[in-house]
Amino acid sequence: MASRRWLRGGALALGYVVFAAFILFPIVWIFLMSIKDFRDIIAYPPTFVFTPTLKNYAQVLFGAASAAEATAISDYVRFFRNSVIISGGAVALAGFVGIPAAYALSRARFKARHSIAFTFLSFRFAPELAVILPLFVVYRQVGLYDTYPGMILAHQLIALPLVIWIMLSFFNDLPLEIEEAAKVDGASVWQTLVRVALPIVRPGIASALIIAFIFSWNNLIFGLVLAGGRTQPATMAILQAMNFDQIKWGEMAAAAMVSSIPGMIIALYFQRHLTRGLTMGAIK
Amino acid sequence: MHLKVPRAARHRPFTPWWRAERTQYVLMFLPALLLLIGVLYPFLTGVLRSLTNEKLYVAEIEFIWFRNYLELFMDPAFRESLARTIGFVLAVLAVQLPLGVGIALLLDVKTPLRTFFRSALVLPLLIPPIVAGLMWKTMMQPASGVLNWLLGVVGIDALPWLSDPTTALASIVLIETWVFIPFVTLILLAGLQSIPEDVVEAVRVDGASEFQAFVYVKLPWLAPYALLVMLFRIPDALKAFDIIYPATRGGPLDATRLLHVMAYQEAFRWSNMGTAMAILFVLWLIAYVVSSNVMRAWQRRSGMVQGG
Repeated sequence: MASRRWLRGGALALGYVVFAAFILFPIVWIFLMSIKDFRDIIAYPPTFVFTPTLKNYAQVLFGAASAAEATAISDYVRFFRNSVIISGGAVALAGFVGIPAAYALSRARFKARHSIAFTFLSFRFAPELAVILPLFVVYRQVGLYDTYPGMILAHQLIALPLVIWIMLSFFNDLPLEIEEAAKVDGASVWQTLVRVALPIVRPGIASALIIAFIFSWNNLIFGLVLAGGRTQPATMAILQAMNFDQIKWGEMAAAAMVSSIPGMIIALYFQRHLTRGLTMGAIK
Repeated sequence: MHLKVPRAARHRPFTPWWRAERTQYVLMFLPALLLLIGVLYPFLTGVLRSLTNEKLYVAEIEFIWFRNYLELFMDPAFRESLARTIGFVLAVLAVQLPLGVGIALLLDVKTPLRTFFRSALVLPLLIPPIVAGLMWKTMMQPASGVLNWLLGVVGIDALPWLSDPTTALASIVLIETWVFIPFVTLILLAGLQSIPEDVVEAVRVDGASEFQAFVYVKLPWLAPYALLVMLFRIPDALKAFDIIYPATRGGPLDATRLLHVMAYQEAFRWSNMGTAMAILFVLWLIAYVVSSNVMRAWQRRSGMVQGG
């Protein structure tokens, strides 16, 4: 009996080790690469012991030390700022538009309710290019191509369905009695939403906005199609490290680490509602 | 207790339409509806564009009915890409569902390290897929990558990974699995944790082994959760792009050119807008039919769980 327990413990430990290696090794490896000198990066067999350097980060964040070392992503900060503006703006807009919309969808009793909600959901499942390719043509005609408003509007395709469905799940969980009481006291629908419902669903709002932010931040294809030189987000900058005859591995790794920071911080600090957010409210 | 007499709210003799509750709800919803139309409109024009010979940056457009679709289905490159895309989706499910169940079972065991592993688990999910694609591409370099070096240490021959048509798509499945296994596991773990303890205990008391408890209690319980995994993973795998583009751009020799990548190249490499939209509409149709069916199945099964 005791030996069987040891066997089980051993199997479990082995499982944990394999799992952790699979998940963590790539992240650790790229992190190591980002603090390696070029010579250490191309060394084969790979080096695990080396003198760490912050040169790649300096290159990416503060630009080239000399003109000879200049690269396309030396002004990475600009790309990063573009990402902050686009994803921040997109999430703010999706919040202001999506939260009241989710509340209306949850409380009002009209027939088209379900089909409207599902139309929003269906955009989560549709291939993005089906919308943004025609959008690309329209944007070039009306002058929204490569502009912040254009990018923020396009990112509603990512952010709005997430916000609406996650908030819908939280609003549907609220007991109606409290809101009824407020209405009996003469509060309007808006007042009921702002003063009664919103304070209770605050964790839901955080969950919805954070998930929407990550999805918007991580997206590549919108920037690839709809952004030119002015508004390209951080994900595009990393891609540009590859567009040269020689891939700038160290800078690419450093840029990758920097652009992963928002997601990683959120992963570590915010886990409680992650599953609910990621499944758009399907799992409580 | 202080009881307030309800003010006129209920007995108000006359409510103008602009103050009616219904109007207020409509107003609340209006901005979202406008944005929805803003998204639907380009999509619908896209469907129309798929019936034309539109080229990017060329003004003349001719309506050619279904010729784009006919030509696509006559084109071996498209048929191969379609088959490749479907194969990719099936491979993704075949790898990720069993692996997800395994990891979920592992994380369901109560050990002191559980919290740490769970935090580690979600990391790949929150990293931009393009970063994941490049990360793995770096590690998969045939001559200098760390993966082949690790294989060498264990005594296995080096693999060509992304650089050979025979192994490229499987390598993409591996990267895709690294990115999305956290998502699959989180859902299945939520499923495992929703099993009432007394159910498992009851069959254990009846003398069932751990394995039997797994097969006869846990697996059936997980069915609706597996459907939920499929509901999200099938459309996401159908439209895979963000990982493939940085890793291979569809190559080598089209080995990883799935439909979404093909549509992108058709539009921006060959500027065939009409053809690209036709590909996307086929892809959309597949995603729509599959996900609405999976959705219905999931609603049926999860309703049963909640009801029972």
